[in-house]
Amino acid sequence: MSKNPIVKGKLVCVALNDAEQFNAMQAEFAEAPYKGAPQQPVLYFKPHNTWSTDGAVVEWAQVDGSPAEQMVVGASLAVVFGKECCRVSEAEALDYVEGYTLVHDFSLVEQNYYRPDIKGKCLDTSAPIGADVVAVADPQALTVVTSVNGMVVNETPVSQLVRGVAELISTISYIMTLQPGDVIAVGFPGQRAPVAPGDKVHSVIDGVTELNNTLGQ
Amino acid sequence: MKHARVLFNGSALDVTVEADGQLKSKTDGQLINEADVTWLCPVEAPGTIFALGLNYADHAAELAFEPPKEPLVFLKGANTLTGHKQNAYRPDNIEFQHYECELVAVIGKEGKNISREDAMDYISGYTVCNDFAIRDYLENYYRPNLRVKSRDSLCPIGPWLIDKEDVGDITNLKLTTHVNGELTQEGTTADIIFDLPFLVEYLSKIMTLKPGDMIATGTPKGLKDMQPGDTVVCEIEKVGALVTHIVSEQTFYGDKY
Repeated sequence: MSKNPIVKGKLVCVALNDAEQFNAMQAEFAEAPYKGAPQQPVLYFKPHNTWSTDGAVVEWAQVDGSPAEQMVVGASLAVVFGKECCRVSEAEALDYVEGYTLVHDFSLVEQNYYRPDIKGKCLDTSAPIGADVVAVADPQALTVVTSVNGMVVNETPVSQLVRGVAELISTISYIMTLQPGDVIAVGFPGQRAPVAPGDKVHSVIDGVTELNNTLGQ
Repeated sequence: MKHARVLFNGSALDVTVEADGQLKSKTDGQLINEADVTWLCPVEAPGTIFALGLNYADHAAELAFEPPKEPLVFLKGANTLTGHKQNAYRPDNIEFQHYECELVAVIGKEGKNISREDAMDYISGYTVCNDFAIRDYLENYYRPNLRVKSRDSLCPIGPWLIDKEDVGDITNLKLTTHVNGELTQEGTTADIIFDLPFLVEYLSKIMTLKPGDMIATGTPKGLKDMQPGDTVVCEIEKVGALVTHIVSEQTFYGDKY
């Protein structure tokens, strides 16, 4: 089913988890349609048609039969589960992790967060997942750096996320049982980087893994 | 033909459901009594589960929403799926959990940019799901959010997948839900706002649809709170009747509670 050997079941992504973005949006959160800041992690799935690999060409999106005017990318540290994870505490959460990798989330520009963004997020091949699953003692100490055509566009320390890795695993495990091969992308930079056809996107977590993709035409 | 998957003697088995209700193994033709099996999700490798919100005019009005101008589509995890006559749980400390009886179309062939005219060629058959919602957990972010709609066991599906040819026209099928024998929801697929050919065209313009993907087409009006001990039957004319038992969170999770 999957074109990616790592993710087998679910790819759960966490939106609005960049503290800088979260704080900057407080006034907007208070207005309609949100009428209040999110009380829980804001989650979305990238379904199986989106899964692709390190080195893959990511299709340039079509919107109503025409090439999309703009696409954006964000990179996230991704947690890969090694065993079934159901209703676990924050203290024991990391014991269920096989290792860590990177996920690129290519999408249309995020317009708002009110309704599930099927049009923007479910594009074919738009979720490349790294080739390596690497054990890490403290995922909170990692930083994800993304470059487009060699220029650094985002630098996101995991410690800057509103909710950290262990807390997210615990919270999500009370909603849905996670299985080996399920993946959680824990947080993307609030300012997603614009990309153009043919661009080369490179993300790296120093000493852990990297992920390279090219935008199609 | 009705295709089902069951647990029999500890193994998953593909069966057909015969006219007399007996199950027939697709492997060796053995006839099996229903009493000897546990029903599973009839789709062996569930792909993307699409579900529609507010897709019946009467239900949208019931929730005080204007009917949507564009389909409200959300995705569900496969962890939500459970079979016919299985348990689904009511979370602790909530006020309102309701059933949603829905006609589910299962994709049988891969396709992208499928036209409305060709859409039905990509459907293999139909089943019934009960797309439970917990209104307490709604937030206005990616609404209806995963906390509401992607919980373990809260999308029972089945009992079987019936070939589309055996159902024929799906534009005026009666839907009913009974709770403990009392009729609590009644509607018809004639009230669907965005019909199946439209949805196949709409979704396949965004993304490739693959075999095993499913589209749950929404529910008519008739909401009612559920409690542990309740038995819910979601039935769609010509397709099937799906039975679910509501249990407490503690009963459902047992040792993991």
